[in-house]
Amino acid sequence: MNNTRLQQLQQMINGSVEIDAMSKSEWVKAGGAKLPEPGDHLELEQGFMLVTKADNHQVQVLHLQAELTLLEKELLIWLAKQGSMSKSGSASASEMERQARKLGDWLQQSIDAGEWRAEISERFELHHRLFDGMIPFLLMSEQAENREPSYMELEKVLRSYLSDDMLLIPLREREWLILGTDRLLAEVETNDGDMIERGETKEALVSLATGLHQMITEEWGGDCHVAVGEPIIPTESLVYAVATLRETVNLGRKFHVGMHVHMPWLVHLERLLSGIPEPVRSRFMDEMSGRQDLFTDPETVSTLDAFFAMDCNVSETAKRLFIHRNTLLYRLDKLKQEAGLDVRSFNDAILVRLLMLLYKVTKRK
Amino acid sequence: MAGVRLEHVYKKYPGSDKASVTDFNLDIADKEFLVLVGPSGCGKSTTLRMIAGLEEISEGKLYIGDRVVNDVAPKDRDIAMVFQSYALYPHMNVYQNMAFGLKLRKFRKDEIDRRVREAARTLEIEHLLDRKPKALSGGQRQRVALGRAIVREPQVFLMDEPLSNLDAKLRTQMRANISKLMKRLETTCIYVTHDQTEAMTMGDRIVVMKDGFIQQAATPDELYNHPVNLFVAGFIGAPAMNFITGQLSEEGGAVRIKATGINVAIPAGKAQVLRDKGYIGREIIMGIRPEDLHEEPVFIEASPNSVISASIEVSENLGHEMFLYLNGLGKDNVIARVDGRSQLQEGQNVKLAIDMNKIHIFDKDTELNILEV
Repeated sequence: MNNTRLQQLQQMINGSVEIDAMSKSEWVKAGGAKLPEPGDHLELEQGFMLVTKADNHQVQVLHLQAELTLLEKELLIWLAKQGSMSKSGSASASEMERQARKLGDWLQQSIDAGEWRAEISERFELHHRLFDGMIPFLLMSEQAENREPSYMELEKVLRSYLSDDMLLIPLREREWLILGTDRLLAEVETNDGDMIERGETKEALVSLATGLHQMITEEWGGDCHVAVGEPIIPTESLVYAVATLRETVNLGRKFHVGMHVHMPWLVHLERLLSGIPEPVRSRFMDEMSGRQDLFTDPETVSTLDAFFAMDCNVSETAKRLFIHRNTLLYRLDKLKQEAGLDVRSFNDAILVRLLMLLYKVTKRK
Repeated sequence: MAGVRLEHVYKKYPGSDKASVTDFNLDIADKEFLVLVGPSGCGKSTTLRMIAGLEEISEGKLYIGDRVVNDVAPKDRDIAMVFQSYALYPHMNVYQNMAFGLKLRKFRKDEIDRRVREAARTLEIEHLLDRKPKALSGGQRQRVALGRAIVREPQVFLMDEPLSNLDAKLRTQMRANISKLMKRLETTCIYVTHDQTEAMTMGDRIVVMKDGFIQQAATPDELYNHPVNLFVAGFIGAPAMNFITGQLSEEGGAVRIKATGINVAIPAGKAQVLRDKGYIGREIIMGIRPEDLHEEPVFIEASPNSVISASIEVSENLGHEMFLYLNGLGKDNVIARVDGRSQLQEGQNVKLAIDMNKIHIFDKDTELNILEV
């Protein structure tokens, strides 16, 4: 259940609703059955606890703190049981793939037509599943195999990683859109189940995307690129999200060779540079000629990468590189002597940052 | 368990006229701990990624056990990988992280539970099984990543710089832990690092690479004492081997090396090899490790034909040993590693004797070790 659904339920019962995960032994200790199943429940002094999901080790429960009538409780129990049955009872795998491909084709057409703000119409069977907050991931496989990987295989792997309510939408060859519930963000947090702070959302998204990349690499199809965006209501902004994520992957592959996980909020500068006409870029590189030799030294590149990643903070950069602060200062001084650019000064730092980004692109030409 | 064999393996990227890995031939024995080491861009990670199936092999054959796996998907190669960026699944607890791969492969629940708990016990992370990755330290996360690989009980472990995200102290500790673990698991392991200390301390055998070519594949002891070329000699060992360009000449039946500040006689056995190969009268590069320069009076007295004098530009005392940076020998600084209790000081002139049995002679053009090849 995602945040939107949780809020809706809170409004309906006029009380608080929390999702808790507890171990099987904790559930039994609290008075629950030894083999918990969705729909099992416990009456508490303050409220009502209902099992929504159970596996060998963990039980996911809804903790409702409100005055509920008997009928309301029975309805909730019935819904929990239905929820567990609906996994296999909903559209068959091939039917789901057909629906997903239909939506994918429309997304592609909308992007091609430049209609980035197009909303998803009700004619799509999946329309009813696209009202809740969802996290968009874009997956581009780089595996050099002749056959197109099977939709069902990939969906099975992704369900295990994300949850049963994810959606897999094929876009182009070896490119998929994956929508995961925004509830995942709260699950990234530690065990106390606290709601995630707004500022931590991006950090959690990065870790989910990095985990997804690792999982796909190891457990499914080898090398791939993953981009992740902030949660959206898909009916309203899915086309825009897909177009942005695709652009993000392309920019990431161009400017950050070797990186496989890309975020739209980390490629602003790259997007801008990508739009600069070639003659202007060449002129800038010509004016900086000689200084580019710096980037052939891996130590200088890794030092500068870390320095910029840590927002030009000397102490934090030294910590990240596991070197003494003075060693870092020595390296930065050496750069100043050799290139005449002091990255501790704001103006020079901008030049070096631009030079590094453009160098990575031009050296491969 | 299985060995791994690479036969004439090449990696060429589209649009590049130069191969990233060239004619890589290697037989890795079952249960062997093999380390690929070399500077950035030498092709070690590309080689590992080809073994993992993450990079296509442009030419050549790769065997895992008796099976050619060039066209086998990574997930079907029966390997487990641990990367530098050991990304854990952030929304799952440690138990779920470790069990994930097995669950996906439809292992029985009791079998999953047994393997996870056993791996957790081995890695001493049993108490962390309920925690989410966010609540773990760097070292703990690294152990979970290892645990995720261990539970698979693969034929081969592939590790790409798994310790480089850890601080120096933790790195040393984990280095020993991984070595112990691999010995206990008795599984083939291919480990990539740029750190020669890691390579020397962990590997049963080390492959030194440069520019996509294997330079030498040998045991740590063999690499250190019998490097086949200048690159390997300079790459293995810290401080690095000293290189002095000099001229070989024959005087009164003895072969001597002459360079700035140096005029020393070469032992008879080595001298004969140089004579046989026609190097007398030619320029060569002499290699000598810092610990093979001796300041002890007894050694100097016993080696009258290999004594040199130099001035100490800088001395670094580490307590148990002292590094002397010497001027006046060849073109560059020469480093000597002497006893930390020596009373030698900067600016002082010092007499040292070279242990001539330990010297290496390299061809100036081919950079090959004349005495080893």
